[in-house]
Amino acid sequence: MFRDDGKIVEVNDKLLDLLGYERDELLRLHVEKIFSVAGRIFYQTHFFPLLKIKGSVEEIYLDLRPRTGETIPVLVNAVRQERDGQTFNDSIFVAMRQRSQYEDEILRAKREAEAATRAKDEFFSVVSHELRTPLNAITGWAQMIKNRSIDDYCRRGVEAIERSARIQSRLIEDLLDLSRIISGKMKIEVRQIELGEIISRAIEVITPAAEAKHIRLEVILESDAYVSGDAARLQQVFWNLLSNAIKFTPKYGRVQIRLGRVNSSVEVSISDTGQGIKADFLPYVFERFRQADNAATTREGGLGLGMAITRNILELHGGTIKAESPGENMGATFTVCLPVTIVHRNENVAGEELWAGKTDETSNNHSDLEGLNVLVVDDDVDGRYLMTTILSLYKAKPITAASVAEAFEKIESLKPDLVISDIEMPGENGFSLIKKLNAFNEKRKRKIPAIALTGHVGQAERLKVLKAGFQVHLAKPIEPEELLVVIANLANWSNNE
Amino acid sequence: MTNKILTRNNVKIFGQGSQPVIFAHGFGCDQNMWRFLTPGFEPDFKIVLFDYVGSGKSDLTAFNPARYDKLDGYAKDVIEICDALALSDAIFIGHSVSGMVGSLAAIERPELFQSLIQIGPSPCYINHPPDYTGGFEREDIVGLLDMMDKNYIGWANFLAPVIMKNPDRPELGAELEESFCSTDPRIARCFAEATFFADNRGDLEKVKTPSLIVQVTDDAIAPVSVGEFMHRKMPNSRLHLLEASGHCPHMSHPQETIKVIKEYLGTY
Repeated sequence: MFRDDGKIVEVNDKLLDLLGYERDELLRLHVEKIFSVAGRIFYQTHFFPLLKIKGSVEEIYLDLRPRTGETIPVLVNAVRQERDGQTFNDSIFVAMRQRSQYEDEILRAKREAEAATRAKDEFFSVVSHELRTPLNAITGWAQMIKNRSIDDYCRRGVEAIERSARIQSRLIEDLLDLSRIISGKMKIEVRQIELGEIISRAIEVITPAAEAKHIRLEVILESDAYVSGDAARLQQVFWNLLSNAIKFTPKYGRVQIRLGRVNSSVEVSISDTGQGIKADFLPYVFERFRQADNAATTREGGLGLGMAITRNILELHGGTIKAESPGENMGATFTVCLPVTIVHRNENVAGEELWAGKTDETSNNHSDLEGLNVLVVDDDVDGRYLMTTILSLYKAKPITAASVAEAFEKIESLKPDLVISDIEMPGENGFSLIKKLNAFNEKRKRKIPAIALTGHVGQAERLKVLKAGFQVHLAKPIEPEELLVVIANLANWSNNE
Repeated sequence: MTNKILTRNNVKIFGQGSQPVIFAHGFGCDQNMWRFLTPGFEPDFKIVLFDYVGSGKSDLTAFNPARYDKLDGYAKDVIEICDALALSDAIFIGHSVSGMVGSLAAIERPELFQSLIQIGPSPCYINHPPDYTGGFEREDIVGLLDMMDKNYIGWANFLAPVIMKNPDRPELGAELEESFCSTDPRIARCFAEATFFADNRGDLEKVKTPSLIVQVTDDAIAPVSVGEFMHRKMPNSRLHLLEASGHCPHMSHPQETIKVIKEYLGTY
């Protein structure tokens, strides 16, 4: 027991034993003197302030320094107590020499394991790249040789080389993708694309495989669906899902692809009449290196990476994927969900003609935003002013709010056509706003779309914002024309709902 | 912008006077540590409390290791707060490392401060024999970092993913917030390194602002010799030795500390 000025007033025999002091010696010491140097600093900077402010501390790790011998790690609980009008700090020390050793060991083992995994990831990335280099020469030369006049024996051989190299190349691409996912370097090049086209292209690629097994492909494209995404990556997703469906569906089976709109999302489901997925494997379908243990996977080979990569690509698009199966031999259904979003016009190549009327003539063709009620939420007065200026220029009717609370009052009373919100605001931020707006939209037929403005560019930020429910992520600084295009499109979107 | 700084540093303003007093907490703490001292100043001063970015209830997302790995970054916080509140001629009261932080801010922007009160300050915590005894060897500080690791992450949590990477489990952060004044072990470590590995001895002579060094006679973190060193180097300084033990006289001996400061300010 010690006072605030550090004077020790009471001590039990056990602690005296531990420290190797006589009682009267210890009662003359400042309490911090019984700790190691590091312990003293921690006592003064953390332990004492905390005890004084909060009235108690629990499980603080400190080192005792006995008169002789090594320091003794202890856990300390302390509580402030009134006695005879004075306040004392009553503390209990639990020596934890062995436990502390365990902790150190486990901590060390954890750090080593983390370092080893990092090293492995790096090695993995290097190996994948290195594997690809010789493959270029193999496929290149195989093609050159094939184009010369060679005998049938050689031709069969070269074709086998080419075919095998292609399979190998795909495996390596998967490894590279996985390595990108692990290191967070997987990137998508986003632009406006029509999902139906992407799916049709993937179907073309797998049609020969389906025909070989006499599998019937049913394609139902219920509506056109513009999403913002990476065409090549999304094609990879659908190719992957379709080739899996065909791989696991027996001869004369059926694979159905259906695309439709559900609220503000595009949903694509791929169902097959194949061997299905066992209930106990369902939760692991999208985990890397996991494959159901069955004849088809053994027969067909593969690394068990496809589904993990598929899910990652979809998540980068702000989308989701789920797998369902009523049971073994009952088929399986994979459902992909992608948000209908609009992106940066500069990146928009495929959708260029969509904006043809505006790209050159934005200055005299603003009719799209005429009369549109747009709520601008930003705590920064300059930010609000900029937005209202741009919006007014395009003949929209801006309303402003300086906080989430104010924004929500206006959403409820004025029901704007669109919300543009800053993300970083003191107190309640943009994420809090979108949460409320999502709940609000649930109950409404006509949904109010929302655009998030952030100071950050980059995939992680974009993903976070889209996942939270914003339809569009725009990075500051905003270009007026970009904003116009995005708003016009979102307004159309909500009108079509 | 103004608003953002005040939110970022969790700035609190109260008191009945007009002369501003800025209280700057030390490493390991937050503005709560001043609650035993502020009642003595409330009637006559405008009290400004804040948390450095990374401490207390500051905005952790504003933490940038490149800025806060040296004391200049913390001095910038102080200057930005002064600017956001349009303060000038303020009294700056800093505990421990904040003494030096206030000095750096005053070198950069002397017009902001009327005087600096430094409680248990040190320009350099590491010994540089034969001329300078800061009180610690490098190994001692490494030992402290180790102890922080164990305390911040805790036996129960240290196998779990690092707190800040765990937005799905905010209760982890909240739990730590209850126990320490910084929620993120990496941020606390950054502040510890900025504090204990700093060497600002060369800056002392540049501090022209009138300064009071309040030194405790028995302080394990800032020995008396350090206070004397500072007093020698700072042209416009006064040294007051407080007969006590410990590093936090404003918490262990608040009345004496208030008296010393007020005597210096001539308001006692």
